[in-house]
Amino acid sequence: MTAEAPPTARAPAEASAESRRHPIAWLIWTRTALGLVTLFVVSILIFAATQLLPGNAATAVLGHNASASAVRTMELRLGLNKPAATQYWDWLSGVLQGRLGTSLANGQSVWSLVGPRLLNSLVLVVLAGLIGSVLGVGLGMFAAIRRDKPADHALSVSALAVTSLPEFVVAIFLVIIFSTVLFHVLPGVSPLESTSGALKPWQDPKELVLPVAALVVVIVPYIFRMMRAATIEAMESDYVEMARLNGLSPVRVLLRHALPNAIAPTVQVIGLNLLYLAGGIVLVEFVFDYPGIGQGLVNAVADRDIPQIQFIVLVLAAFYIAMNIVTDVVALMVTPRRRVAR
Amino acid sequence: MADDLDRAAGSHARHGAGTGPHSLGRRDFLRYTGMGAVAVGGATALAACGSSSTPSSTSSSPAAAGKPKKGGTLHAGLTGGTGSDTVDAHRGVDNVDFARIIALYDPLIGYDLKAQNKLALAESITPNAKATVWTVRLRPGVTFHNGKPLTAEDVIYSLTRIVKNNYGGASSLASVDVKNLKALDSLTVEIPCLTPYATLPDAMTGYYYYMGIVPVGYDPTHPVGTGPFKFQSFTPGQQSTFVRNDHYWDTSDGPYVDTLVITDYPDETSQVNAFVSGQADLVNLLSATSIPQVQAAGNILTADGGGMTPFTMRVDQPPFTDPRVRQAFRLICDRPQMTDLVFGGRGTIGNDVFSPFDPEFDHSIPQRTQDIAQAKSLLKAAGQESLTVQLVTADIAQGTIRVAQVFAQQAAAAGVTVNLRQVTSTEFYGNNYLKWNFAQDYWYYSKYLPQVAQATLPNSPFNETHWDNPAYNKLYNQAIATVDPTARTAIAHELQAIDHSIGGYIIPYFPPTIDGYAKKVNGVVPTSVGLSLGAYNFKAMWLA
Repeated sequence: MTAEAPPTARAPAEASAESRRHPIAWLIWTRTALGLVTLFVVSILIFAATQLLPGNAATAVLGHNASASAVRTMELRLGLNKPAATQYWDWLSGVLQGRLGTSLANGQSVWSLVGPRLLNSLVLVVLAGLIGSVLGVGLGMFAAIRRDKPADHALSVSALAVTSLPEFVVAIFLVIIFSTVLFHVLPGVSPLESTSGALKPWQDPKELVLPVAALVVVIVPYIFRMMRAATIEAMESDYVEMARLNGLSPVRVLLRHALPNAIAPTVQVIGLNLLYLAGGIVLVEFVFDYPGIGQGLVNAVADRDIPQIQFIVLVLAAFYIAMNIVTDVVALMVTPRRRVAR
Repeated sequence: MADDLDRAAGSHARHGAGTGPHSLGRRDFLRYTGMGAVAVGGATALAACGSSSTPSSTSSSPAAAGKPKKGGTLHAGLTGGTGSDTVDAHRGVDNVDFARIIALYDPLIGYDLKAQNKLALAESITPNAKATVWTVRLRPGVTFHNGKPLTAEDVIYSLTRIVKNNYGGASSLASVDVKNLKALDSLTVEIPCLTPYATLPDAMTGYYYYMGIVPVGYDPTHPVGTGPFKFQSFTPGQQSTFVRNDHYWDTSDGPYVDTLVITDYPDETSQVNAFVSGQADLVNLLSATSIPQVQAAGNILTADGGGMTPFTMRVDQPPFTDPRVRQAFRLICDRPQMTDLVFGGRGTIGNDVFSPFDPEFDHSIPQRTQDIAQAKSLLKAAGQESLTVQLVTADIAQGTIRVAQVFAQQAAAAGVTVNLRQVTSTEFYGNNYLKWNFAQDYWYYSKYLPQVAQATLPNSPFNETHWDNPAYNKLYNQAIATVDPTARTAIAHELQAIDHSIGGYIIPYFPPTIDGYAKKVNGVVPTSVGLSLGAYNFKAMWLA
């Protein structure tokens, strides 16, 4: 599922057979098809896993002191008495027709519950991804041109240190520093609430600061280290030396000659980190009580709310697959030699 | 009986859902019982206490003096909610549901701060001579949030709704003949019972957070009650908002704040972070370890509640079939050491009999203390020297795992090997709930006889100890047919003597409730009911 293999391994053979096919379009097509198959398999796995949870939604909804007859009535209403395969097919056919079903926990439609959470998480991931990528790339280049100087050492050591911390530890450190113990400048939790109901994330940007910062702190070191190494490699290459000997300014050498070659491996790492974000938000959202799909997933599992679990996991899986495709395409686009059918 | 137990166990399974102690079925159920009373009756009691907050221990806020004032937004950061949270008056399951229910609705009768019965929407509840018919007279002039006046028909509608749908409060109305509820006039309801039921008010009190009165035609998606706060918005598992009810019937103390916001927190860490960074004014159900952090930013409220977290011994399974083994296990407990180690000395020592605040509780039973020599000789007599048992524990309430560890250590002194099996609370309340041989449980406070009905009769829904003693059952039936309180108390004492000598519970202590409130919040007072924050008495709270 990672981003490396296909273009190099497959491109020559396929290109010769299908020489007119544009390699990028071809990549998108095949990956999308494979992705759909993966999604299907994932949906079966999720369904099987939810069947293994103790208790079912009827008992979850009715509470501990419900009578057996009430539980049976509820099971009938929810279709929980049907064979697992039938339940699965009912759900899958519903999703294919755009019907996501209703939450078993509270009877609201799954979309109305997950939709706002999806938006909240998307804001978090996009912001963290953007800021993290820009910071990682910028710091990586900076460290590369200051190679072996104090600034480079400081950055490299800090990056290594942060890499060894799990995201929830980073999150808790940030809370201790900025909210609870040292300073009291930022909200320690981000429930996006107001007296009139739930807020959109941009309505209270202060609440976004620490969750985004926690994710940024976690992804930046990887991007930074890859960018630094790639830039150093590019700077040592013959063509950069040639450019320098031609008297081009250092900035121009870096941006026009070294960067385009350093960015390709970095794009792969950025892609991997965005994928990581899809999972990392679960912990970060939990720590900050941020109403995103990670927190929604935790709640849904607790409630045995299978339609919600399935939809959220499907969304995460789809994001994963889509990001893989995007990463490969971008990597291909920044690597001209691979873009051309040979 | 086995059937009943299986059923109860099955229906409990949902509680696995929760992420912590608060999500458990039975425990919530019990808490329920405690909570309703305060909602209704709390106001006057609070007024009597004055507006100054006088927490039972730790810090009290000196700023509390002064005249209560209206206004502001109160942010409550509570743990224990789930995605299946509700604002339905009768379908609450977890702690956060109860907080909302107390804000929105009133029962007929609830608890005061000392966990004694206190009339709420009822002006009087009186039995006939045989306790087969009860007459409820409603308080006049009460209106629902939509302006409709409260009438007898609303009470009939509410009680019928609870029983017909088998909601949480149904078990307290089990002996009520709901089909024949009758409105004698617009403010008087006649409640006929199928069998004599002298403890009806106590049973209703015990479930007060299940017993809110709603108007005829109640629509839970637009919840309307008579409570101190009106509904504004609700997102399950996230947050709910309420506004002050300016027409509340009980004007003795509040409601004061304009807006009440209840936010769900997934765990204590984020809850305490919210409190310390000023985003939550109130936090509930803290563990002893959070006290320093919360105290640095606000005040701690410790309440000695009457709920319990007993060890449960199945009396129909060896080795506990032998009463000498049960006695030995009770003698093993060094109870003061347990409260010291688990709650830093907070909480009340227990004597293996539940419902300590009930006037029918027998305080003359001598306190059991640790006696290892006696425990050893009892075990020897029972042929159970060097006994090995498994104790099933889970994070079902504050301190349950810790006290199980302490018990295992204390038991070693008597030559008993206790192997701890720690399971998740989901598994604990899953299919094996009520089947564990030696385990623990969590109950909210309830009065004695209603608690017996829930836990120690052959048809009790949550009889963890499988207690079925013919003499005991007979005494209970006699008690609930006895209207005279003195005579009934005498019978209750006989039952408690049996509990104390040969029962299946070890009740080493009654756990405290530890909450936090910001310095600017006034009117927060502890209650014995065992629910947090004065039984979620948002009505009496005001902001400086």
